Amino acid sequence: MALWIQILPGSDEPIYLQVVEQISKAIAKSELASGDKLPAVRKLASELVINPNTVARAYTQLEQAGLVVTKTGSGTFVSDPKLRRSDAADINALAERMDTLITRALNLGIETQDLTKLFDSRLAKFTGKSDKRTGEK
Amino acid sequence: MKFAALFGKEFRECLPWMLLAAIVLLAFGSFFLRAQAYDMNPNRDWSRGYNPPGTAVEAYRLTFNSPLAMLGPWLFCCSIGLGLILGARQFWIPNFTRTWPFLLHRSARRTTILTAKLTAGSTALVLAIGGVWVSLYWYACQLEVFTVPPPARVFIHGWILVIMGLLTYLGTALSGLSEARWYTTKIFGIAFAVIIVGVTTGEWSLARALAVIAFGAALLLSQLFDTFATREF
Amino acid sequence: MNDTVLQTRGLTKYYDSTPAVDHLDLEIPRGCICGFVGRNGAGKTTAIKLMLGLLEPTAGSASLLGCDSSALTPAIRQRIGYVAEGHRLFRWMTIGALEKFQRAFFPKQWDDKLFREMIEYFDLPKKKKIKHLSNGQRAQVSLALALAPNPELLIMDDPTLGLDAAIRRQFLEGMIELIMRQGRTILFSSHILGDVERVSDRIIVIDKGVLRANCSLEQFQRAIRKVVLSFSGDVPGQVDIEGLLHCKRGDKQLELTLVGADDEKVAALAKSIRAETYNVVTMNLEDQFIEFTAPANHKRLFQWEER
Repeated sequence: MALWIQILPGSDEPIYLQVVEQISKAIAKSELASGDKLPAVRKLASELVINPNTVARAYTQLEQAGLVVTKTGSGTFVSDPKLRRSDAADINALAERMDTLITRALNLGIETQDLTKLFDSRLAKFTGKSDKRTGEK
Repeated sequence: MKFAALFGKEFRECLPWMLLAAIVLLAFGSFFLRAQAYDMNPNRDWSRGYNPPGTAVEAYRLTFNSPLAMLGPWLFCCSIGLGLILGARQFWIPNFTRTWPFLLHRSARRTTILTAKLTAGSTALVLAIGGVWVSLYWYACQLEVFTVPPPARVFIHGWILVIMGLLTYLGTALSGLSEARWYTTKIFGIAFAVIIVGVTTGEWSLARALAVIAFGAALLLSQLFDTFATREF
Repeated sequence: MNDTVLQTRGLTKYYDSTPAVDHLDLEIPRGCICGFVGRNGAGKTTAIKLMLGLLEPTAGSASLLGCDSSALTPAIRQRIGYVAEGHRLFRWMTIGALEKFQRAFFPKQWDDKLFREMIEYFDLPKKKKIKHLSNGQRAQVSLALALAPNPELLIMDDPTLGLDAAIRRQFLEGMIELIMRQGRTILFSSHILGDVERVSDRIIVIDKGVLRANCSLEQFQRAIRKVVLSFSGDVPGQVDIEGLLHCKRGDKQLELTLVGADDEKVAALAKSIRAETYNVVTMNLEDQFIEFTAPANHKRLFQWEER
């Protein structure tokens, strides 16, 4: 399992959010496969030198987002993607984020087809690894 | 175990100064003792020279006309001096090295910490100066030139000079602990000790000399414990 | 086990006619790492010394582990670790001698293995005298001496002042290791907001002796935000909103730093001053702290406290 998290304390983003985002990204990129066990809260806190409560909070947020599942006694595991559900609120939030992105791009004067190309290439970085996923645990 | 640790630490801090004072006193003391002994008429009857009981003691003169007369000033100065140095080492230096917070945050009461300090300092003083005085007195008794060895009274007078060092020790300690500024109450401790020493040296009765010393020491000690208990660090 | 490990009530300390600590009311619950921040001379060291009974309060009181600070018993002191500012230790002692000295006061709780491991990890020879150690090495010894007795409450006064990043990290690691044991609490003062952000659960902000904030770090970070409002017309002159820390006027923009203003209030404000658009920007802890303790804000006597 390859999980590498880096904390930047001086950034505008709270630390727990940095952890949430980096784990989310790892899951999206399939660096963390379904069923993979996340490091124990204490272990991660020790390694990153951050408060264990911060790690716990990040894990809780990931669980609320449906990305991980905590099994009492065993630990926290990456959830099965088939079981992840996105409701209307999630789609709306996503749409709003897209609007921000599009606004920025259009204001910079980027052409529509360039934007689509950019989007595809970035997406490929995530899903392009899907073929390597099988067999990796 | 805690007291032992505190005492050990304090005593170890006093050790170099203790040895220095002891060496100085031993060196000069024995030198002058020998010089005095061999300079003088070997057949002189020393029994005449000693002051009969009841007459002025004048402790600092240390039985005038005795072969130990030369030792008096040395004993006095080394004792007073070591008292000053030990008081400064234990109670002034920590103000500059700022080690009080480390020392005071202990699982031991403040009085215990102070007692350990004072016990160590006093022991160091008595061992150093008293120990050398005993050696010199013993040496004087061995020197063949003396037909009559110095009487026991001389021995006791010497010890009074040793104990006077304790007064300057306590006085310096109190001054070091005082939070007042210079030229005011800060100097009280040392000044008081000097006064008591002065009174004692002029005292003609052995018993009264001891009483003055006891009174001075008791006062200084009570002030020390009072100050230490409430002082801010 | 009592839930509150540290408490102050109206704690005040005057030096001449200036209050170094002014009516401090604090309660620190068990099990948290509490970052104690304030500008230079804000009163952090004075407050800590008052809590440890090294100073006598002019008014008010403080208590540690349920015991009044001016009368801390040896048994209570045994449960409290203290790293004083400057890491002043007995210069003539060797590290080994210091270990023996410290250990004598914790006969049952001294963790010999931990001390040895830490000293080895820091690569410090036991025979070396304290006076021959650098500031950083002395700090390391100080840390080992404070952690080996496995304290219930650890109070550290600016432990990483002037130390390099590697040693600062070691202190943070030590704190994380300690906090993961049952029922431990840490209070540490620091100027490095990045370190505070990393390890703290709670934050206490003191400014000119006065308590300005005492809450969870999350609440503090959520509450102080920057709002950038853009205008098509003229930028308004006076802005009146509760919790305004700083106001910066640009050509067509107004940048406000606010504390305690939720989304509703911000929206209402934007509407009232007829801003065309507005954007809420998150800030890093250092910037939040700087704005919060800026001198202009102190004059407003702005105080904000949450549990």
